[in-house]
Amino acid sequence: MLLLYALHRLLGPRGRRWLIALVTFVAGLFYGLEYFYPAKGNPSANFLTKWIEPVSIMFSVIGFFTVGLGVYSLCHVHGRNVARRRPGWHNSLAFFLSMIAMLVFAVWEHYLHLPEPPPAVLPWPKGVYEVLFNGLFAPLQAATFSLLAFYIASAAYRAFRIRSAEAALMMGAAFIVMLGQVPVGMWLTSAIPASGPTAFFRLEKLGEWVMNWLNTPAQRGITFGIAVGAMAMSLRVWLSLERGTFFSEQA
Amino acid sequence: MEQRPPSDLWQRLQQVPRHYIYLLLSGVIVWQLLAPIRLPILPSPPTRGVYDAIRAVPAGKLIVISTDWDASTQAETGPQTRAVLEACFQAGKPFALMNLASPMGAKLGNDIAVEVGKEYHAEYGMVWCNWGYKAGFTNVLLAMARNIPKTMGQDFYGKPVAALHMMQKVRTIRDVGLVIEITGLANMTEAWVGLIQGPYRIPFAAAYTAVMAPGYYQFLDSGQLEGMLVGAKGAAEMESLVNRPGAGTAIMSAQSWAHVLIIALIIFGNLGFVLTRAREKGRER
Amino acid sequence: MGTLLHANWFMTALFGGMSAVIVASVLLAQRGRAMFIRRIPGLSGIEEAVGRATEMGKPIFFSPGLDGISIVTLQALAILSHIVRLAAERMTRIIVGICDPTVLPVAEESVRETYDSVGRAEAYRPEDVRFISDQQFAYALGSVGLMTREQTATSFYFGLFFAEALILTENGRALGALQVAGCPEPTQIPFFIATCDYVVIGDEYYAASAYLTREPTLTGSLVGQDIVKAVLLALMLAGIVLVSVLGPAAHLGQNFLVDLLAQGR
Repeated sequence: MLLLYALHRLLGPRGRRWLIALVTFVAGLFYGLEYFYPAKGNPSANFLTKWIEPVSIMFSVIGFFTVGLGVYSLCHVHGRNVARRRPGWHNSLAFFLSMIAMLVFAVWEHYLHLPEPPPAVLPWPKGVYEVLFNGLFAPLQAATFSLLAFYIASAAYRAFRIRSAEAALMMGAAFIVMLGQVPVGMWLTSAIPASGPTAFFRLEKLGEWVMNWLNTPAQRGITFGIAVGAMAMSLRVWLSLERGTFFSEQA
Repeated sequence: MEQRPPSDLWQRLQQVPRHYIYLLLSGVIVWQLLAPIRLPILPSPPTRGVYDAIRAVPAGKLIVISTDWDASTQAETGPQTRAVLEACFQAGKPFALMNLASPMGAKLGNDIAVEVGKEYHAEYGMVWCNWGYKAGFTNVLLAMARNIPKTMGQDFYGKPVAALHMMQKVRTIRDVGLVIEITGLANMTEAWVGLIQGPYRIPFAAAYTAVMAPGYYQFLDSGQLEGMLVGAKGAAEMESLVNRPGAGTAIMSAQSWAHVLIIALIIFGNLGFVLTRAREKGRER
Repeated sequence: MGTLLHANWFMTALFGGMSAVIVASVLLAQRGRAMFIRRIPGLSGIEEAVGRATEMGKPIFFSPGLDGISIVTLQALAILSHIVRLAAERMTRIIVGICDPTVLPVAEESVRETYDSVGRAEAYRPEDVRFISDQQFAYALGSVGLMTREQTATSFYFGLFFAEALILTENGRALGALQVAGCPEPTQIPFFIATCDYVVIGDEYYAASAYLTREPTLTGSLVGQDIVKAVLLALMLAGIVLVSVLGPAAHLGQNFLVDLLAQGR
């Protein structure tokens, strides 16, 4: 890593581009070669297989260093808001207070070493941690996810208009699936026998048919298209063929 | 993006302020949670697939349940986890919990297992255990295929996994009879199927949130998934199969009428749209 | 059916063939052969969206999604560069909200370089490329707060999104922002379509860099992709015929194409 860094600093722009292209190629080659090189045994393995785990761990560790960057960015932005008393600076202050509180009590709780079984009255740092984590953080996550129910209701009401025959078909399929997923739908068509040729017209059966025979092929088609697109882009990045502002234009 | 003020009833039907929609939805959900109208729930084939897969696990094999969810999806994945654990306890199949996505999920899953385990008088380490959260995702899957006790190291409570009584005969992934993934996260299934189910032919089932489930019917169709629980409905269906109605069943009443409300709103909106258009066409003539 | 930990000879040949087609298409395009790309409304709407923010004198918000450094995020950053170029030329402020900290230095560098390349280095504000949170819903709420406080006129969502997508876009809509979204995750596309003005669907997302820059290398790659898709479709049809028409041979063990793909036999 140090050698690469030194080379990167020493070389000119053209040399740097070649260095980056070479490192990109070798890094991508490792995983590609491990997959395509003939393998034997059960489970199959070749000479590179034993290196997959350590290399993956190495990349993960390198990636984790950037967590500090994220914290720095947050502190920088919110610190300026507080220092300059910008509008809404009290929100930035709340950010610092909550970050410090969670950090202090989470670390404290981790090193408390409670006896087994835990005492009836927990030590107060553990209590504060439980309030912050299980009392605030977890319910806030659940509550935010629950907002989606309201948003989808208003979005569906506003956006779903039958402007064409295709839209009408889509609407019909949506109604069938929505009702087929809930007991009300099963109840609406409960008069139809559960077995026999007419069972298909029960809402839950119709809904399953839509999911299995309409939704599945469509999902597969989209998945194939996306996979091929991802493969092509991966090939371009690996061979340093990608162009555009981000990847820097070069001949 | 900005709407003209509605000039008559038909236009008003198309432009109901969202606050009223939110109020109506809240009202319907609270009404059903307080005074539910219980309707029968019939298990669907994907849910039955999970139930049958649990019961079909051969003697001497372990079920691995990966609780890769956190508090945000708890409303769906919590009841799913409880129903799956009930099925495992009722079938007498030993299982191990694990988590690849979040330490919070490991704790939430453990809390459910402790609670349900007490009802079945199941002793930890004998019938069930919790391997805890393991960082590394695909690395963990690759390593556990070869050596589970070494990969898992310590369990959720800090004890060596290898020392647990039920883990004495569990070495590699081939000692696992079924893997059940309960998750609200994307790309978990692809890794399990690619690294465990496919190469080692270990039966694999899953439980997803309702939003992500449509993307996984293709795995069900190809046979890579033995069965699938879809959202709270899947939890309710599993609860009916194990005969222990719980949170999933309670949620279904509210969800039923919420769906009816959304459909009614869409119909009213389209009624206003169609009638407004018809009237404008009539004026043009 | 099983999957493979390592490729068999058929998969190796298939992948090699697909790669060769894509590379050959790239070389043909570099030699000057004209290649057609159909209009993609979602990407055509980008310039209109940036123009709207310029006219209103309000900033643009860009979200590259939840993922770390991956193919999806690299494509998002390529689109970000294009949008930053348009915004910088028009002296319009752009705010980038980052979820994964590994993306932060890359995004900062990309935005700064783009401002430099159009001669507007002084317009670059480091605090406009900021990390919000690596937690999904904290990121969504933080981004919504940012859009609300800054009263953004236009919002772009390109990258990997999950459940938080609807929180972002519904609130953006309530603000009156013009929204353009692109996500390769099929489950989120319905939510984007219901709430955004322009949506880039499925593999149109990976066509973005070719569409926006019209670089021969990229357009050649795009055409090569389409040829590969046609080949895969032909293989699928062959498999369907073999499985359906050959009766008893439709059993897995006697279907030679399935065996070829799964076990290399």
